[in-house]
Amino acid sequence: MRATRWLLLGLALWLAGCTQPPPDAIRFALATLPANLDPLFATDAASERINRLLYQSLTDFDEQSRAVPALARWQRLAADHYRFELLGDSRFHDGTPLRATDVVATYRALLDPATASPHRGSFSHLREVRAVGDRQVDFLLDRADPLFPGLLTIGILPARLLAEGHDFGTRPVGSGPLQFVGRPASGELLLRRRADDQLIRFIQVPDPTVRTLKLIAGEVDLLQNDLPPELVQYLEDHDGIRVARVAGSTFSYIGFNLADPVTADRRVRRAVAHAIDRAAIVRYLFHGGARLAESILPPDHWAGADDIAPLPFDPARARALLAEIGHGPGQPLRLVYKTSTDPFRLRVAAVFQAQLARVGIDLDIQSHDWGSFFGDIKAGRFQMYSLSWVGVRSPDILRYVFHSRSLPPTGANRGRYHSEQVDSLLEQAGRQADPAPYRQVQQQVHDDLVYVPLWYEDNVLVTRDDIVGYRLRRDGAYDGLVTVTRMHAP
Amino acid sequence: MSRALGLVWGLFDTLLVLAGVACLVFALLHLVPGDPVAVMLGESARPADAAALRHQLGLDRPLAEQLGGFFTQLAQGDLGESLQQHRPVTTLIGEHLPATLELAGAAFLIAVAVALPLGIIAARHAHHWPDRLASGFALFGLSVPNFWLGPMLILLFSIYLGLTPVSGRSEPGSLILPAITLGLSMAAITTRMVRSTLLEVLAQPFIRTARAKGEGESRVMWRHALPNAALPLLTLLGLQLGALLAGAVITETVFAWPGIGTLLVSAISQRDYPLVQGCVLLISGSYVLINRLTDLLYGVFDPRVRGL
Repeated sequence: MRATRWLLLGLALWLAGCTQPPPDAIRFALATLPANLDPLFATDAASERINRLLYQSLTDFDEQSRAVPALARWQRLAADHYRFELLGDSRFHDGTPLRATDVVATYRALLDPATASPHRGSFSHLREVRAVGDRQVDFLLDRADPLFPGLLTIGILPARLLAEGHDFGTRPVGSGPLQFVGRPASGELLLRRRADDQLIRFIQVPDPTVRTLKLIAGEVDLLQNDLPPELVQYLEDHDGIRVARVAGSTFSYIGFNLADPVTADRRVRRAVAHAIDRAAIVRYLFHGGARLAESILPPDHWAGADDIAPLPFDPARARALLAEIGHGPGQPLRLVYKTSTDPFRLRVAAVFQAQLARVGIDLDIQSHDWGSFFGDIKAGRFQMYSLSWVGVRSPDILRYVFHSRSLPPTGANRGRYHSEQVDSLLEQAGRQADPAPYRQVQQQVHDDLVYVPLWYEDNVLVTRDDIVGYRLRRDGAYDGLVTVTRMHAP
Repeated sequence: MSRALGLVWGLFDTLLVLAGVACLVFALLHLVPGDPVAVMLGESARPADAAALRHQLGLDRPLAEQLGGFFTQLAQGDLGESLQQHRPVTTLIGEHLPATLELAGAAFLIAVAVALPLGIIAARHAHHWPDRLASGFALFGLSVPNFWLGPMLILLFSIYLGLTPVSGRSEPGSLILPAITLGLSMAAITTRMVRSTLLEVLAQPFIRTARAKGEGESRVMWRHALPNAALPLLTLLGLQLGALLAGAVITETVFAWPGIGTLLVSAISQRDYPLVQGCVLLISGSYVLINRLTDLLYGVFDPRVRGL
């Protein structure tokens, strides 16, 4: 009897422990926590999105991806000379004011080869940074760059702490709206909103099904993206959960290796493009949660091309093109398609395989872990692959991806595309901030079928229904955390 | 061979195995495609910067020289710095190891607590319904993959019954579901092993003699049968415990358990050589250590082994 009593008491205490009081913090579940909170080193999406909240940068982007002032406004004094003037009176989280010297120290640290910042390559034409008084900074370039202000989105660090060799990766000190509090447990990150002391807790939950179940159980309050469409649909039908969507700018595509003798043939690429029913994939696999794409830049980007004629789904045309090169159902064309081990990407690959089989293409799907897959793509060891461009802002990405001098490792022309016309248009575009040459490049690349453009995935926000005030952005940034609040029951 | 000499030889043997593992991990990581410098600097890196960083990290040195440097560091207890997180590997492992030990320990206890009584009952009632029930449980435990069992347990205990947290490590009761998920397959294997070993021992002449002397079934089981079945069970449990430390990756991922498994998976995908090396060395070292401890425990259960 006594043992039973103790057992019941233990059970009661345990159950009491499981009944949590209402949480102080707004809890945001992420697939992966940021790898590095130092803006000089951060490259993964989670780090960049959280660093936007911890630090402030000189510039930011508007809805059309045009560079706009953030910490500073600018003047272009000469083609290769910009002057930035700090706006307002920003202070770092340690209370010290943000001055021109902090901006200079940040960019000098970035340019220092000893820092080994992954962002240094983007600033290869930045010759000098110098302070002009307390509130102005001059940037001197080696060549004219009309898009240069759009590069200055690196978070500004305090010069004093930089000089002391402070570890910003683990103890970030910025001037952004959110302030680092600590890591209460492994796999968690706690920030405090400076305006009202609201705590924001990021919790790492790698498995999407478990993230979904945690939201339903009330263990987290918010999820954003990284959810398979069927889970989003499941959550939409769930009481007490709200789902919001906004058109996104993450561009997915199929890339071809133009140095491969088979995929170098434009008829092969065209056959693949006509054989894939993108609309059906968006309808059935994404449950409508994506829009068809024709180019890297979305049509509402200031340099986007909204008049590119879509590639129609036309299996008959695909068969005719394959017949021209001696292939058909009796003699299928074998192509190798590389992808990662992501279950959803594998499902999409299986649909491609089925659709291409109908026109006489035998698609061999090879799935590798991310490191091997990406290594193969950069080294040109592929015929076809699929990837996405995330967070595209500057139209200069077109130079980075399609210019013949942008072969890896200096750029991302992974398909080894070479077009003198495109090179010349990109050179022309680099001299002025004019959308026309960028639009021509996008049309030309579309005609040459360097990529089969697929879709832009929607951004999805899922919250418990007591969470309000989070505005979902097109670029998937977490800026909604600056305004989000929890409604308390009366 | 004297006992002391045996221990020294065992230690030397362990170090030799660990050195072999370290060489193998080092070689494999450097042979698979993927460049850590490219991962660190991104695609927009200038070739000169990439070369400078490669030099700074010592990745441009001959492989043998890099391996030598790696062993020199290792001898000083330094596993290097994570290429991605820019923090010492030992610190990162130190942060994640307690979670893995906690999970593996709890799973091991659950497995032993379930498997021993079930195996004994199955052996005592061989070919009758308790045996069939225990065999059914073992078959279920062996057939069900962790990535399915985990979410099912969460649905039942966290969502429908609200008894346990869904995942994580910071709330009370959060260890229960991952430990059950991880411990179930081990319990299943061990149950089968206990049953078959006991059946073998119970058929031995000395058991017949014990029964002929009038000893009760409980005494026969606990005094004579179990100690004689202990050696193969110890071997199995040692191997299983090592596997629990190494094989918790899926369970850790499902339950967002911040252990060595999740650390290793992210390190592999980012080609974070030092971190992968550190994690694999830890896992293989634990395996070797547990097996050595198992060898020593043999002597406790069977005095004949002590002199060997």
